[in-house]
Amino acid sequence: MSVLAPIICDNGTGYSKVGFAGNSDPSFVFPTAIATRGSASQSARAPAIPSKPGHLASKRGVEDLDFFIGDEALANAKTPGYGVHYPIRHGMIDNWDHMERYWEQTIFKYLRAEPEDHYFLLTEPPLNAPENREQTAEIFFESFNIKGLYIAVQAVLALAASWSSNRVTDRTLTGTVIDSGDGVTHVIPCAEGYVIGSAIKHIPIAGRDISQFVLNLMRERGEMVNVPPEDQLKVASKVKENYSYVCQDIVREFRKYDEEPLKYFERYDGEHSVTGRKYGVDVGYERFLAPEIFFNPEIYSSEFLTPLPEIVDDVIQQSPIDVRRGLYKNIVLSGGSTMFQHFGNRLKRDLKQIVDRRLDANATASGSHLRSSGVDVDVISHKRQRYAVWFGGSLLASLPDFYTSCHTKAQYDEVGPSICRRYQIFGSST
Amino acid sequence: MILLEPHNVIIQTTVSEKLQKPSSLDVVFVDYDNVRFHLSTPDRKTVLLLSMHIRCWDELVKYGALDVLQREYGSLLSNQVEPEYNVSLEIDLEQVPADPEAREAFVMSLALLKRNALAAPFERGFATQKALEASAGQGELMQIHYRDEEAMYIQAAPDRVTVIFSTVFREETDRIFGKVFLQEFVDARRQPSIQNAPQVLYSSRDPPLEIRHVPGLRNSDDIGYVTFVLFPRHFGNAEIAAATISQTQLFRDYLHYHIKCSKAYMHSRMRFRVTEFQKVLNRAKTEVATTERKTASGRTMVSR
Repeated sequence: MSVLAPIICDNGTGYSKVGFAGNSDPSFVFPTAIATRGSASQSARAPAIPSKPGHLASKRGVEDLDFFIGDEALANAKTPGYGVHYPIRHGMIDNWDHMERYWEQTIFKYLRAEPEDHYFLLTEPPLNAPENREQTAEIFFESFNIKGLYIAVQAVLALAASWSSNRVTDRTLTGTVIDSGDGVTHVIPCAEGYVIGSAIKHIPIAGRDISQFVLNLMRERGEMVNVPPEDQLKVASKVKENYSYVCQDIVREFRKYDEEPLKYFERYDGEHSVTGRKYGVDVGYERFLAPEIFFNPEIYSSEFLTPLPEIVDDVIQQSPIDVRRGLYKNIVLSGGSTMFQHFGNRLKRDLKQIVDRRLDANATASGSHLRSSGVDVDVISHKRQRYAVWFGGSLLASLPDFYTSCHTKAQYDEVGPSICRRYQIFGSST
Repeated sequence: MILLEPHNVIIQTTVSEKLQKPSSLDVVFVDYDNVRFHLSTPDRKTVLLLSMHIRCWDELVKYGALDVLQREYGSLLSNQVEPEYNVSLEIDLEQVPADPEAREAFVMSLALLKRNALAAPFERGFATQKALEASAGQGELMQIHYRDEEAMYIQAAPDRVTVIFSTVFREETDRIFGKVFLQEFVDARRQPSIQNAPQVLYSSRDPPLEIRHVPGLRNSDDIGYVTFVLFPRHFGNAEIAAATISQTQLFRDYLHYHIKCSKAYMHSRMRFRVTEFQKVLNRAKTEVATTERKTASGRTMVSR
């Protein structure tokens, strides 16, 4: 009998991506939300206990089975008696009770897999506490009796996902990952599969902010008058997803639009979700201005003003000197907010300018005739960017090496949860 | 969620998605009990090929699975079965009924592929019982080895159909949970509200009389046998029979699901207790006297 495909489970703050190894897309992408009995504020209450001793089934209720996850949870948010919880905060698991039940239903209701027959690959954010990893291992090995477990760092999986790009020639786990989802953008340097924790930087600009920015622009131009208020944010995010791209030069782009508005302006048609009334909006400058907030944040926020290329450069400069070349050479994009057309090219150009300028300044300051041979800067974009972390997991878990890198149930029983403090990096011999 | 659903959610969502927007596709996924699926578009974007591998296929064919599938899917059954799989369905997305309700029913029937394949021995059992009512005697004992170590036995008698599951627990704690759970299962049936439910018997270690003669039965501590006795009222009309089949065949997974749920419940109780104890411990800490110390000139001393 062949071994059943390992299950890849990437639980993010906003969305969970779950599916089987070997596929190119996750089978399910749904919000990491759980709707349980009792209001949202009462989460700290004790679980129900049987009121009288005796046959448990007749005395104890089934409250602990009465919950929904994912899309169903949000659909039930308004049902009286249910409260929605988000068990993951800032990438880390916050409420283990909810998370355990969330996993339970993910496996049994959606994946329909018997966990005892499967290996699991889970993901964790960089700088996750080892205690969290132990807790996760406890749940998976003791509640679910899984065959084997591997917990991978999301950034490393994103690097592995970039191997699918045809521009990647050597399969390395050294590189800088730019992971931009809905809530926050991380810039994470990795060397040989290990995250350089001290150099990680976060940028408080991500998908949600871009949608908000598009909305502001369209409101200012008066496009949103026709759109019902409850649909406005949805329209803005649709415009962002379907029409936006990164331009190389804003001034020229503005001129192009003004000269030939008919050619560049697009029309977005929508329908009111309740009444079914039709409306349409013109999509203009926001097409190229939306992703521009990564490169010129001052057009959107007044608190955060450092452009993304500068942040990336900072991160790499703070990393150990011997890996910097590798980090510049392999900058990998991951997450939905890096999907804009030409995003990679623009980032590469801006970063290259910063690097070259520094090299020149160095040369003049030292006053010598020796010239540096230059530093390669390359940004890798690929087709699987949106679910890059999940895809990387699917890729690694379908390698034969995966089973030897996993901790098995037998090893766990022998050593205990502390075995999960350390995981073998793929492809390394140690 | 107390009962597991009989249909496969991945088939349901993927096929309905592809009905709206056909695109090329190649996914593998699983279902309970080592069932593997492969959904792909080998030739054209509008023709889906859904293949299933099921461990006990040969046994199911012996008990009439092909007839059941032929009845459910008709022309969809592909003559050419994909290698490494047991059965393939060819779904032409352009020929699917356009009416939303019929379409939904069609997608649902696809999602029930595994259930329908496993339903064959049950249906044969129910039919044999009908036939035996007039005469007497015993039906054939049908064995379905749906997992490596576990099997399902179905036997028809003149007045009932007996379904026996053998269950193996790999883990010590699971065995205890399972034992308690199955005992509860038997006890719960004594309640007046569910008198019509099928009779459930549980025996650990010793196989029930019906299957005692079967060769190769394991006789160890970690094995248990659950017997369901289905009476004609449980499969009298087609609708009830279908529900009975769906629920009974998922019994093993249902059992394991609930063992896991009970563990999760215990864990949440334990976590709650630990935080309570921690609160008590924190209360027991003696407070360090913090009087502000000042120098003669009135400046505060800061301890480093």
